[in-house]
Amino acid sequence: MPRLRAMKAAFEHQARHFLSDPGWLIPNIILPFIITLVALLLYGSSDGPVVMYAVLGGGMMGMWGNTLYASGYSIQSERWWGTLESVLAVPTPLIWIIAGRTIWNALIGVANGLAILAVAVFVLQAPITVADLPLFLLAFLMTLLSLAALGLVFSSAFVLTRQAGVLTNGLEYPIYVATGCMYPIAILPFWTGPLSLSLAPSWGIDAIRIAAGYNPQGLWDGYLGVLDPMVAYAVDIIVVVVMACAYLVIAFYLFGVVDRRARIEGNLGRV
Amino acid sequence: MNVLQSVRVFWSSAVIAKKALFDWLSPGLWLMQLFTMSLFQMAFFVYISAYVGNPQATVAYVAVGNAIQSIAYVAIFAVTNVTTEEKEAGTLPGILVTPANRFALFIGRAMFQVLNSIATVVIALFYAAVLFGVDFSSANLVTLAVVIVVTAFATVGFGLMLSSLGFYLRTSMVVANVFLFMGLLFCGVNFPVTMLPEFLQPIAYIFPITYATDAARLAVGGAGLGEVWSYLSAELVVMVVAILIGYAMMMAFEHLARRKGTLEMF
Repeated sequence: MPRLRAMKAAFEHQARHFLSDPGWLIPNIILPFIITLVALLLYGSSDGPVVMYAVLGGGMMGMWGNTLYASGYSIQSERWWGTLESVLAVPTPLIWIIAGRTIWNALIGVANGLAILAVAVFVLQAPITVADLPLFLLAFLMTLLSLAALGLVFSSAFVLTRQAGVLTNGLEYPIYVATGCMYPIAILPFWTGPLSLSLAPSWGIDAIRIAAGYNPQGLWDGYLGVLDPMVAYAVDIIVVVVMACAYLVIAFYLFGVVDRRARIEGNLGRV
Repeated sequence: MNVLQSVRVFWSSAVIAKKALFDWLSPGLWLMQLFTMSLFQMAFFVYISAYVGNPQATVAYVAVGNAIQSIAYVAIFAVTNVTTEEKEAGTLPGILVTPANRFALFIGRAMFQVLNSIATVVIALFYAAVLFGVDFSSANLVTLAVVIVVTAFATVGFGLMLSSLGFYLRTSMVVANVFLFMGLLFCGVNFPVTMLPEFLQPIAYIFPITYATDAARLAVGGAGLGEVWSYLSAELVVMVVAILIGYAMMMAFEHLARRKGTLEMF
Protein backbone atom coordinates (compact mmCIF):
# COMPACT_ATOMS: atom_id res chain seq x y z
CA MET A 1 0.00 0.00 0.00
CA PRO A 2 2.70 2.58 0.76
CA ARG A 3 4.00 2.03 -2.75
CA LEU A 4 0.58 2.53 -4.28
CA ARG A 5 0.22 5.68 -2.18
CA ALA A 6 3.56 6.89 -3.51
CA MET A 7 2.42 6.12 -7.05
CA LYS A 8 -0.79 8.06 -6.49
CA ALA A 9 1.18 10.97 -5.03
CA ALA A 10 3.53 10.91 -8.04
CA PHE A 11 0.48 10.91 -10.32
CA GLU A 12 -0.94 13.94 -8.51
CA HIS A 13 2.43 15.67 -8.43
CA GLN A 14 2.85 15.17 -12.16
CA ALA A 15 -0.67 16.50 -12.71
CA ARG A 16 0.04 19.63 -10.65
CA HIS A 17 3.37 20.09 -12.34
CA PHE A 18 1.75 19.77 -15.73
CA LEU A 19 -1.08 22.15 -14.87
CA SER A 20 1.37 24.73 -13.54
CA ASP A 21 3.00 24.81 -16.97
CA PRO A 22 0.38 23.62 -19.45
CA GLY A 23 2.57 24.85 -22.29
CA TRP A 24 4.01 21.35 -22.21
CA LEU A 25 0.77 20.11 -23.68
CA ILE A 26 1.87 21.65 -26.96
CA PRO A 27 5.05 19.65 -27.62
CA ASN A 28 3.53 16.55 -26.08
CA ILE A 29 0.64 16.43 -28.47
CA ILE A 30 1.78 18.51 -31.38
CA LEU A 31 3.90 15.89 -33.15
CA PRO A 32 1.26 13.13 -33.22
CA PHE A 33 -1.36 15.71 -34.11
CA ILE A 34 0.64 17.12 -37.01
CA ILE A 35 1.65 13.67 -38.23
CA THR A 36 -1.98 12.63 -38.29
CA LEU A 37 -2.88 15.70 -40.32
CA VAL A 38 0.01 14.95 -42.69
CA ALA A 39 -1.20 11.36 -43.03
CA LEU A 40 -4.76 12.54 -43.70
CA LEU A 41 -3.51 14.84 -46.44
CA LEU A 42 -1.34 12.07 -47.89
CA TYR A 43 -4.27 9.66 -47.89
CA GLY A 44 -5.97 12.30 -50.01
CA SER A 45 -9.40 11.19 -48.84
CA SER A 46 -11.47 11.95 -45.81
CA ASP A 47 -14.05 9.22 -45.95
CA GLY A 48 -14.74 7.43 -42.68
CA PRO A 49 -12.59 4.28 -42.82
CA VAL A 50 -9.47 6.02 -44.10
CA VAL A 51 -9.70 8.81 -41.55
CA MET A 52 -10.21 6.16 -38.90
CA TYR A 53 -6.93 4.51 -39.79
CA ALA A 54 -4.95 7.73 -39.38
CA VAL A 55 -6.90 8.99 -36.38
CA LEU A 56 -6.46 5.78 -34.40
CA GLY A 57 -2.77 5.66 -35.23
CA GLY A 58 -2.41 9.29 -34.20
CA GLY A 59 -4.11 8.57 -30.90
CA MET A 60 -1.65 5.79 -30.15
CA MET A 61 1.28 8.01 -31.10
CA GLY A 62 0.02 10.67 -28.72
CA MET A 63 -0.04 8.20 -25.85
CA TRP A 64 3.47 6.98 -26.63
CA GLY A 65 4.89 10.51 -26.97
CA ASN A 66 3.50 11.50 -23.60
CA THR A 67 4.59 8.31 -21.87
CA LEU A 68 8.09 8.72 -23.17
CA TYR A 69 8.25 12.36 -22.09
CA ALA A 70 7.05 11.44 -18.62
CA SER A 71 9.78 8.90 -18.10
CA GLY A 72 12.56 10.74 -19.91
CA TYR A 73 12.14 14.41 -19.20
CA SER A 74 10.84 13.99 -15.64
CA ILE A 75 14.11 12.27 -14.72
CA GLN A 76 16.18 14.83 -16.58
CA SER A 77 14.32 17.67 -14.88
CA GLU A 78 14.85 16.13 -11.44
CA ARG A 79 18.54 15.94 -12.24
CA TRP A 80 18.68 19.61 -13.28
CA TRP A 81 16.77 20.70 -10.20
CA GLY A 82 19.04 18.68 -7.94
CA THR A 83 16.20 16.60 -6.54
CA LEU A 84 16.88 13.23 -8.23
CA GLU A 85 19.06 11.98 -5.36
CA SER A 86 16.35 12.83 -2.82
CA VAL A 87 13.71 11.06 -4.88
CA LEU A 88 15.90 7.95 -5.07
CA ALA A 89 16.64 8.09 -1.35
CA VAL A 90 13.00 7.73 -0.25
CA PRO A 91 11.90 4.23 0.85
CA THR A 92 9.60 3.75 -2.16
CA PRO A 93 11.47 2.33 -5.18
CA LEU A 94 11.82 4.83 -8.02
CA ILE A 95 9.79 2.70 -10.43
CA TRP A 96 6.57 3.36 -8.49
CA ILE A 97 7.16 7.10 -8.64
CA ILE A 98 7.94 7.06 -12.35
CA ALA A 99 4.91 4.81 -12.93
CA GLY A 100 2.61 7.42 -11.35
CA ARG A 101 4.01 10.12 -13.58
CA THR A 102 3.84 7.91 -16.66
CA ILE A 103 0.18 7.06 -16.11
CA TRP A 104 -0.69 10.76 -15.87
CA ASN A 105 1.10 11.56 -19.10
CA ALA A 106 -0.41 8.59 -20.91
CA LEU A 107 -3.85 9.89 -19.90
CA ILE A 108 -2.96 13.31 -21.28
CA GLY A 109 -2.03 11.49 -24.47
CA VAL A 110 -5.67 10.45 -24.75
CA ALA A 111 -6.48 14.15 -25.14
CA ASN A 112 -4.41 14.07 -28.29
CA GLY A 113 -6.52 11.28 -29.76
CA LEU A 114 -9.69 13.17 -28.91
CA ALA A 115 -8.34 16.40 -30.43
CA ILE A 116 -7.50 14.58 -33.65
CA LEU A 117 -10.92 12.97 -33.68
CA ALA A 118 -12.56 16.37 -33.18
CA VAL A 119 -10.63 17.85 -36.12
CA ALA A 120 -11.53 14.84 -38.28
CA VAL A 121 -15.23 15.13 -37.47
CA PHE A 122 -15.71 18.90 -37.33
CA VAL A 123 -13.11 20.20 -39.80
CA LEU A 124 -12.79 17.34 -42.29
CA GLN A 125 -16.48 16.39 -41.89
CA ALA A 126 -15.51 12.74 -41.63
CA PRO A 127 -18.17 10.31 -40.45
CA ILE A 128 -16.52 8.37 -37.62
CA THR A 129 -18.15 5.21 -36.39
CA VAL A 130 -16.96 2.59 -33.93
CA ALA A 131 -18.23 -0.92 -34.64
CA ASP A 132 -18.02 -2.21 -31.08
CA LEU A 133 -17.56 0.48 -28.42
CA PRO A 134 -16.88 -1.76 -25.37
CA LEU A 135 -14.24 -3.78 -27.24
CA PHE A 136 -12.80 -0.54 -28.61
CA LEU A 137 -12.47 0.98 -25.14
CA LEU A 138 -10.95 -2.23 -23.78
CA ALA A 139 -8.35 -2.30 -26.56
CA PHE A 140 -7.66 1.40 -26.06
CA LEU A 141 -7.11 0.95 -22.32
CA MET A 142 -4.90 -2.10 -22.75
CA THR A 143 -2.79 -0.30 -25.35
CA LEU A 144 -2.45 2.68 -23.03
CA LEU A 145 -1.24 0.46 -20.20
CA SER A 146 1.15 -1.45 -22.45
CA LEU A 147 2.66 1.83 -23.63
CA ALA A 148 3.11 2.93 -20.04
CA ALA A 149 4.82 -0.39 -19.24
CA LEU A 150 7.10 -0.04 -22.27
CA GLY A 151 7.95 3.50 -21.18
CA LEU A 152 8.99 2.17 -17.78
CA VAL A 153 11.43 -0.27 -19.39
CA PHE A 154 13.18 2.58 -21.19
CA SER A 155 13.05 4.93 -18.21
CA SER A 156 15.38 2.74 -16.16
CA ALA A 157 18.15 3.63 -18.61
CA PHE A 158 17.30 7.32 -18.31
CA VAL A 159 18.29 7.30 -14.64
CA LEU A 160 21.87 6.41 -15.50
CA THR A 161 22.45 8.98 -18.20
CA ARG A 162 22.82 12.75 -18.18
CA GLN A 163 21.27 12.80 -21.63
CA ALA A 164 17.81 11.40 -20.95
CA GLY A 165 16.30 14.15 -23.07
CA VAL A 166 18.33 13.15 -26.12
CA LEU A 167 17.38 9.50 -25.72
CA THR A 168 13.75 10.48 -25.24
CA ASN A 169 13.69 12.38 -28.52
CA GLY A 170 15.45 9.51 -30.26
CA LEU A 171 12.97 6.86 -29.14
CA GLU A 172 9.85 8.54 -30.44
CA TYR A 173 9.98 7.75 -34.15
CA PRO A 174 11.39 4.20 -33.95
CA ILE A 175 8.27 3.08 -32.09
CA TYR A 176 6.04 4.87 -34.57
CA VAL A 177 7.83 3.10 -37.42
CA ALA A 178 7.96 -0.36 -35.89
CA THR A 179 4.41 -0.55 -34.53
CA GLY A 180 2.82 0.33 -37.85
CA CYS A 181 0.54 2.87 -36.28
CA MET A 182 -0.07 4.54 -39.67
CA TYR A 183 0.31 1.56 -42.01
CA PRO A 184 0.21 -2.24 -41.82
CA ILE A 185 3.54 -3.61 -40.59
CA ALA A 186 3.46 -6.02 -43.52
CA ILE A 187 4.87 -3.22 -45.71
CA LEU A 188 8.00 -2.97 -43.56
CA PRO A 189 11.02 -5.07 -44.57
CA PHE A 190 10.35 -8.68 -43.65
CA TRP A 191 13.31 -8.89 -41.24
CA THR A 192 11.79 -6.18 -39.05
CA GLY A 193 8.78 -8.41 -38.35
CA PRO A 194 10.09 -9.93 -35.09
CA LEU A 195 10.91 -6.46 -33.76
CA SER A 196 7.42 -5.15 -34.57
CA LEU A 197 5.74 -8.21 -33.11
CA SER A 198 7.77 -7.89 -29.89
CA LEU A 199 6.15 -4.50 -29.23
CA ALA A 200 2.81 -4.68 -27.43
CA PRO A 201 1.49 -1.49 -29.09
CA SER A 202 1.69 -3.22 -32.50
CA TRP A 203 -0.90 -5.71 -31.23
CA GLY A 204 -2.82 -3.03 -29.37
CA ILE A 205 -3.36 -0.84 -32.42
CA ASP A 206 -4.44 -3.94 -34.35
CA ALA A 207 -7.07 -4.70 -31.71
CA ILE A 208 -8.21 -1.08 -31.70
CA ARG A 209 -8.70 -1.13 -35.47
CA ILE A 210 -10.58 -4.42 -35.38
CA ALA A 211 -12.91 -3.12 -32.66
CA ALA A 212 -13.42 0.11 -34.59
CA GLY A 213 -14.43 -1.95 -37.60
CA TYR A 214 -11.60 -0.89 -39.87
CA ASN A 215 -8.63 -3.15 -40.33
CA PRO A 216 -8.08 -3.73 -44.05
CA GLN A 217 -4.75 -5.42 -43.48
CA GLY A 218 -4.33 -6.78 -39.98
CA LEU A 219 -1.22 -7.61 -38.04
CA TRP A 220 -1.61 -11.22 -38.94
CA ASP A 221 -1.81 -10.76 -42.69
CA GLY A 222 1.46 -11.42 -44.38
CA TYR A 223 2.92 -13.05 -41.30
CA LEU A 224 0.52 -15.50 -39.73
CA GLY A 225 -2.31 -15.80 -42.20
CA VAL A 226 -5.79 -14.23 -42.19
CA LEU A 227 -7.87 -14.85 -39.07
CA ASP A 228 -11.48 -14.24 -38.14
CA PRO A 229 -11.56 -10.65 -36.76
CA MET A 230 -12.94 -11.67 -33.36
CA VAL A 231 -10.32 -14.40 -32.95
CA ALA A 232 -7.62 -11.96 -34.03
CA TYR A 233 -8.96 -9.38 -31.56
CA ALA A 234 -8.91 -11.88 -28.68
CA VAL A 235 -5.37 -12.98 -29.50
CA ASP A 236 -4.27 -9.34 -29.83
CA ILE A 237 -5.61 -8.47 -26.38
CA ILE A 238 -4.06 -11.55 -24.77
CA VAL A 239 -0.68 -10.76 -26.34
CA VAL A 240 -0.91 -7.11 -25.23
CA VAL A 241 -1.62 -8.15 -21.63
CA VAL A 242 1.13 -10.79 -21.58
CA MET A 243 3.66 -8.42 -23.10
CA ALA A 244 2.71 -5.57 -20.76
CA CYS A 245 3.25 -7.92 -17.81
CA ALA A 246 6.60 -8.97 -19.27
CA TYR A 247 7.60 -5.31 -19.69
CA LEU A 248 6.71 -4.67 -16.05
CA VAL A 249 8.83 -7.61 -14.88
CA ILE A 250 11.76 -6.38 -16.98
CA ALA A 251 11.26 -2.81 -15.74
CA PHE A 252 11.23 -3.90 -12.08
CA TYR A 253 14.43 -5.87 -12.63
CA LEU A 254 16.17 -3.04 -14.50
CA PHE A 255 15.15 -0.43 -11.93
CA GLY A 256 16.62 -2.66 -9.20
CA VAL A 257 19.91 -2.88 -11.09
CA VAL A 258 19.94 0.83 -11.86
CA ASP A 259 19.08 1.78 -8.30
CA ARG A 260 22.02 -0.22 -6.94
CA ARG A 261 24.42 1.07 -9.57
CA ALA A 262 23.39 4.69 -9.00
CA ARG A 263 23.99 4.33 -5.26
CA ILE A 264 27.42 2.78 -5.82
CA GLU A 265 28.61 5.31 -8.39
CA GLY A 266 27.11 8.28 -6.56
CA ASN A 267 26.91 10.54 -9.63
CA LEU A 268 23.17 11.10 -9.84
CA GLY A 269 23.59 14.77 -9.06
CA ARG A 270 25.88 15.32 -12.04
CA VAL A 271 24.15 17.45 -14.64
CA MET B 1 30.70 49.32 -32.61
CA ASN B 2 34.17 47.85 -32.25
CA VAL B 3 34.26 45.41 -35.15
CA LEU B 4 37.36 43.55 -34.00
CA GLN B 5 35.88 43.06 -30.56
CA SER B 6 32.67 41.74 -32.08
CA VAL B 7 34.60 39.30 -34.25
CA ARG B 8 36.43 38.10 -31.13
CA VAL B 9 33.13 37.66 -29.27
CA PHE B 10 31.68 35.80 -32.24
CA TRP B 11 34.64 33.44 -32.50
CA SER B 12 34.99 32.72 -28.79
CA SER B 13 31.26 32.17 -28.52
CA ALA B 14 31.37 29.68 -31.41
CA VAL B 15 34.32 27.81 -29.89
CA ILE B 16 32.79 27.68 -26.42
CA ALA B 17 29.45 26.46 -27.85
CA LYS B 18 31.20 23.56 -29.55
CA LYS B 19 33.18 22.71 -26.42
CA ALA B 20 30.05 22.91 -24.28
CA LEU B 21 28.13 20.62 -26.62
CA PHE B 22 30.71 17.87 -26.39
CA ASP B 23 31.21 18.33 -22.68
CA TRP B 24 27.52 17.78 -22.11
CA LEU B 25 26.84 15.30 -24.90
CA SER B 26 29.25 12.41 -25.33
CA PRO B 27 30.59 12.11 -28.90
CA GLY B 28 29.07 8.62 -29.13
CA LEU B 29 25.61 9.90 -28.32
CA TRP B 30 26.05 12.85 -30.65
CA LEU B 31 26.93 10.45 -33.48
CA MET B 32 23.98 8.24 -32.62
CA GLN B 33 21.70 11.26 -32.78
CA LEU B 34 23.27 12.38 -36.05
CA PHE B 35 22.81 9.00 -37.71
CA THR B 36 19.39 7.97 -36.38
CA MET B 37 17.16 11.03 -36.05
CA SER B 38 16.66 11.55 -39.77
CA LEU B 39 16.52 7.83 -40.52
CA PHE B 40 13.44 6.99 -38.49
CA GLN B 41 11.52 10.12 -39.44
CA MET B 42 12.23 9.48 -43.09
CA ALA B 43 11.34 5.79 -42.78
CA PHE B 44 8.04 6.63 -41.11
CA PHE B 45 6.84 8.99 -43.82
CA VAL B 46 8.26 6.91 -46.65
CA TYR B 47 6.28 3.88 -45.46
CA ILE B 48 3.11 5.97 -45.17
CA SER B 49 3.75 7.19 -48.70
CA ALA B 50 4.40 3.64 -49.95
CA TYR B 51 1.17 2.44 -48.33
CA VAL B 52 -0.98 5.32 -49.53
CA GLY B 53 0.41 5.52 -53.06
CA ASN B 54 -0.52 9.17 -53.57
CA PRO B 55 0.96 10.15 -56.98
CA GLN B 56 1.66 13.68 -55.73
CA ALA B 57 3.76 12.34 -52.86
CA THR B 58 5.90 9.55 -54.15
CA VAL B 59 8.53 7.76 -52.07
CA ALA B 60 11.31 9.82 -53.69
CA TYR B 61 9.39 13.06 -53.05
CA VAL B 62 8.88 12.20 -49.38
CA ALA B 63 12.42 10.88 -48.84
CA VAL B 64 14.13 14.00 -50.23
CA GLY B 65 11.67 16.27 -48.39
CA ASN B 66 12.38 14.58 -45.07
CA ALA B 67 16.13 14.59 -45.70
CA ILE B 68 16.01 18.38 -46.04
CA GLN B 69 13.59 18.78 -43.13
CA SER B 70 15.95 16.84 -40.86
CA ILE B 71 17.95 20.06 -40.73
CA ALA B 72 15.24 21.45 -38.46
CA TYR B 73 16.26 19.17 -35.58
CA VAL B 74 19.55 20.95 -35.40
CA ALA B 75 18.97 24.36 -36.90
CA ILE B 76 15.59 25.07 -35.33
CA PHE B 77 15.32 22.84 -32.25
CA ALA B 78 18.88 23.19 -30.97
CA VAL B 79 19.32 26.84 -31.90
CA THR B 80 15.96 27.93 -30.50
CA ASN B 81 16.93 26.38 -27.18
CA VAL B 82 20.18 28.36 -26.90
CA THR B 83 18.70 31.01 -24.61
CA THR B 84 16.72 28.51 -22.54
CA GLU B 85 19.82 26.40 -21.96
CA GLU B 86 21.71 29.45 -20.70
CA LYS B 87 18.78 30.23 -18.44
CA GLU B 88 18.60 26.71 -17.02
CA ALA B 89 22.35 26.65 -16.48
CA GLY B 90 22.04 29.94 -14.60
CA THR B 91 24.47 31.68 -16.96
CA LEU B 92 22.14 34.00 -18.89
CA PRO B 93 22.35 36.96 -16.46
CA GLY B 94 26.13 36.54 -16.36
CA ILE B 95 26.30 36.79 -20.13
CA LEU B 96 23.96 39.74 -20.36
CA VAL B 97 25.82 41.88 -17.85
CA THR B 98 28.87 41.78 -20.11
CA PRO B 99 29.18 44.53 -22.71
CA ALA B 100 29.62 41.88 -25.44
CA ASN B 101 27.70 42.54 -28.63
CA ARG B 102 24.57 40.40 -28.42
CA PHE B 103 24.39 39.90 -32.15
CA ALA B 104 27.93 38.51 -32.36
CA LEU B 105 27.46 36.49 -29.19
CA PHE B 106 24.36 34.57 -30.21
CA ILE B 107 25.28 34.21 -33.89
CA GLY B 108 28.53 32.67 -32.64
CA ARG B 109 26.64 30.32 -30.35
CA ALA B 110 24.70 28.98 -33.32
CA MET B 111 27.59 28.60 -35.76
CA PHE B 112 28.53 25.03 -34.88
CA GLN B 113 24.94 24.07 -35.61
CA VAL B 114 25.44 25.18 -39.23
CA LEU B 115 28.08 22.46 -39.63
CA ASN B 116 25.93 20.04 -37.67
CA SER B 117 22.98 20.82 -39.96
CA ILE B 118 24.99 20.19 -43.10
CA ALA B 119 26.21 16.83 -41.77
CA THR B 120 22.65 15.86 -40.79
CA VAL B 121 21.26 16.52 -44.27
CA VAL B 122 24.13 14.78 -46.06
CA ILE B 123 23.58 11.64 -43.96
CA ALA B 124 19.83 11.83 -44.54
CA LEU B 125 20.29 12.10 -48.31
CA PHE B 126 22.59 9.08 -48.13
CA TYR B 127 19.74 7.13 -46.48
CA ALA B 128 17.35 8.35 -49.15
CA ALA B 129 19.62 6.93 -51.84
CA VAL B 130 20.75 3.70 -50.20
CA LEU B 131 17.76 2.61 -48.14
CA PHE B 132 14.83 4.12 -49.97
CA GLY B 133 16.05 3.88 -53.54
CA VAL B 134 15.99 7.55 -54.52
CA ASP B 135 17.72 7.92 -57.87
CA PHE B 136 20.65 10.34 -57.66
CA SER B 137 22.15 9.30 -61.01
CA SER B 138 21.26 12.58 -62.69
CA ALA B 139 21.62 14.77 -59.61
CA ASN B 140 23.58 18.00 -59.88
CA LEU B 141 25.74 17.59 -56.78
CA VAL B 142 27.15 21.12 -56.88
CA THR B 143 23.67 22.61 -56.88
CA LEU B 144 22.62 20.22 -54.15
CA ALA B 145 25.61 21.18 -52.02
CA VAL B 146 24.86 24.89 -52.44
CA VAL B 147 21.21 24.28 -51.52
CA ILE B 148 22.26 22.44 -48.36
CA VAL B 149 24.72 25.13 -47.26
CA VAL B 150 22.33 28.02 -47.91
CA THR B 151 19.53 26.14 -46.14
CA ALA B 152 21.74 25.49 -43.12
CA PHE B 153 22.50 29.20 -42.73
CA ALA B 154 18.92 30.27 -43.44
CA THR B 155 17.38 27.81 -41.00
CA VAL B 156 19.86 28.64 -38.26
CA GLY B 157 18.95 32.30 -38.79
CA PHE B 158 15.30 31.37 -38.39
CA GLY B 159 16.14 29.41 -35.23
CA LEU B 160 17.98 32.41 -33.79
CA MET B 161 14.89 34.54 -34.28
CA LEU B 162 12.85 32.02 -32.30
CA SER B 163 15.52 31.75 -29.61
CA SER B 164 15.07 35.42 -28.76
CA LEU B 165 11.71 34.43 -27.23
CA GLY B 166 13.69 32.54 -24.60
CA PHE B 167 14.73 35.86 -23.04
CA TYR B 168 11.21 36.43 -21.89
CA LEU B 169 9.36 33.10 -21.92
CA ARG B 170 10.03 30.53 -19.20
CA THR B 171 11.22 28.18 -21.90
CA SER B 172 11.64 28.40 -25.63
CA MET B 173 11.44 24.58 -25.84
CA VAL B 174 7.71 24.77 -26.56
CA VAL B 175 8.27 27.20 -29.43
CA ALA B 176 11.11 25.01 -30.71
CA ASN B 177 8.85 21.96 -30.79
CA VAL B 178 6.00 23.79 -32.46
CA PHE B 179 8.15 25.16 -35.28
CA LEU B 180 10.11 21.92 -35.63
CA PHE B 181 7.00 19.92 -36.35
CA MET B 182 5.06 22.60 -38.23
CA GLY B 183 7.65 22.13 -40.96
CA LEU B 184 6.31 18.63 -41.58
CA LEU B 185 2.93 20.07 -42.42
CA PHE B 186 3.68 23.40 -44.08
CA CYS B 187 7.03 23.13 -45.85
CA GLY B 188 6.26 20.79 -48.73
CA VAL B 189 8.18 18.04 -47.00
CA ASN B 190 5.69 15.22 -47.46
CA PHE B 191 3.34 16.65 -50.07
CA PRO B 192 3.23 19.76 -52.27
CA VAL B 193 2.22 23.00 -50.56
CA THR B 194 -0.66 23.21 -53.04
CA MET B 195 -2.30 20.24 -51.27
CA LEU B 196 -2.79 22.40 -48.18
CA PRO B 197 -6.06 24.30 -47.80
CA GLU B 198 -5.66 27.55 -49.72
CA PHE B 199 -5.84 29.79 -46.66
CA LEU B 200 -2.89 27.93 -45.08
CA GLN B 201 -0.59 28.04 -48.09
CA PRO B 202 0.90 31.53 -47.43
CA ILE B 203 2.20 30.27 -44.06
CA ALA B 204 4.48 27.85 -45.90
CA TYR B 205 6.53 30.67 -47.36
CA ILE B 206 7.69 32.11 -44.05
CA PHE B 207 9.82 28.97 -43.55
CA PRO B 208 13.17 28.68 -45.37
CA ILE B 209 12.71 24.90 -45.58
CA THR B 210 9.78 25.31 -47.99
CA TYR B 211 12.10 26.80 -50.61
CA ALA B 212 14.83 24.30 -49.76
CA THR B 213 12.71 21.19 -50.33
CA ASP B 214 11.70 22.36 -53.79
CA ALA B 215 15.27 23.41 -54.66
CA ALA B 216 16.72 20.10 -53.43
CA ARG B 217 14.24 18.07 -55.49
CA LEU B 218 15.16 20.08 -58.57
CA ALA B 219 18.87 19.53 -57.84
CA VAL B 220 18.31 15.80 -57.44
CA GLY B 221 16.60 15.92 -60.83
CA GLY B 222 19.69 17.55 -62.35
CA ALA B 223 18.85 21.27 -62.19
CA GLY B 224 21.73 23.75 -62.27
CA LEU B 225 22.28 26.70 -59.97
CA GLY B 226 20.48 29.06 -62.36
CA GLU B 227 17.29 27.00 -62.12
CA VAL B 228 17.21 27.01 -58.31
CA TRP B 229 18.47 30.55 -57.82
CA SER B 230 15.01 31.97 -57.18
CA TYR B 231 14.53 29.48 -54.33
CA LEU B 232 17.95 30.19 -52.85
CA SER B 233 17.50 33.95 -52.99
CA ALA B 234 14.11 33.60 -51.29
CA GLU B 235 15.77 31.56 -48.55
CA LEU B 236 18.43 34.22 -48.07
CA VAL B 237 15.79 36.93 -47.86
CA VAL B 238 13.93 34.92 -45.20
CA MET B 239 17.23 34.49 -43.32
CA VAL B 240 18.07 38.20 -43.32
CA VAL B 241 14.55 39.20 -42.31
CA ALA B 242 14.49 36.54 -39.56
CA ILE B 243 17.82 37.67 -38.14
CA LEU B 244 16.78 41.33 -38.16
CA ILE B 245 13.45 40.55 -36.51
CA GLY B 246 15.23 38.23 -34.08
CA TYR B 247 17.72 40.92 -33.11
CA ALA B 248 14.96 43.45 -32.51
CA MET B 249 13.02 40.89 -30.47
CA MET B 250 16.13 39.97 -28.52
CA MET B 251 16.76 43.58 -27.50
CA ALA B 252 13.10 44.16 -26.66
CA PHE B 253 12.70 40.97 -24.65
CA GLU B 254 15.98 41.49 -22.84
CA HIS B 255 14.82 44.95 -21.80
CA LEU B 256 11.43 43.59 -20.73
CA ALA B 257 12.96 40.68 -18.80
CA ARG B 258 15.38 43.02 -17.01
CA ARG B 259 12.54 45.38 -16.11
CA LYS B 260 10.27 42.58 -14.83
CA GLY B 261 13.08 40.59 -13.23
CA THR B 262 12.18 37.44 -15.14
CA LEU B 263 15.56 36.78 -16.70
CA GLU B 264 16.21 33.78 -14.48
CA MET B 265 12.68 32.41 -14.48
CA PHE B 266 12.30 28.96 -16.02
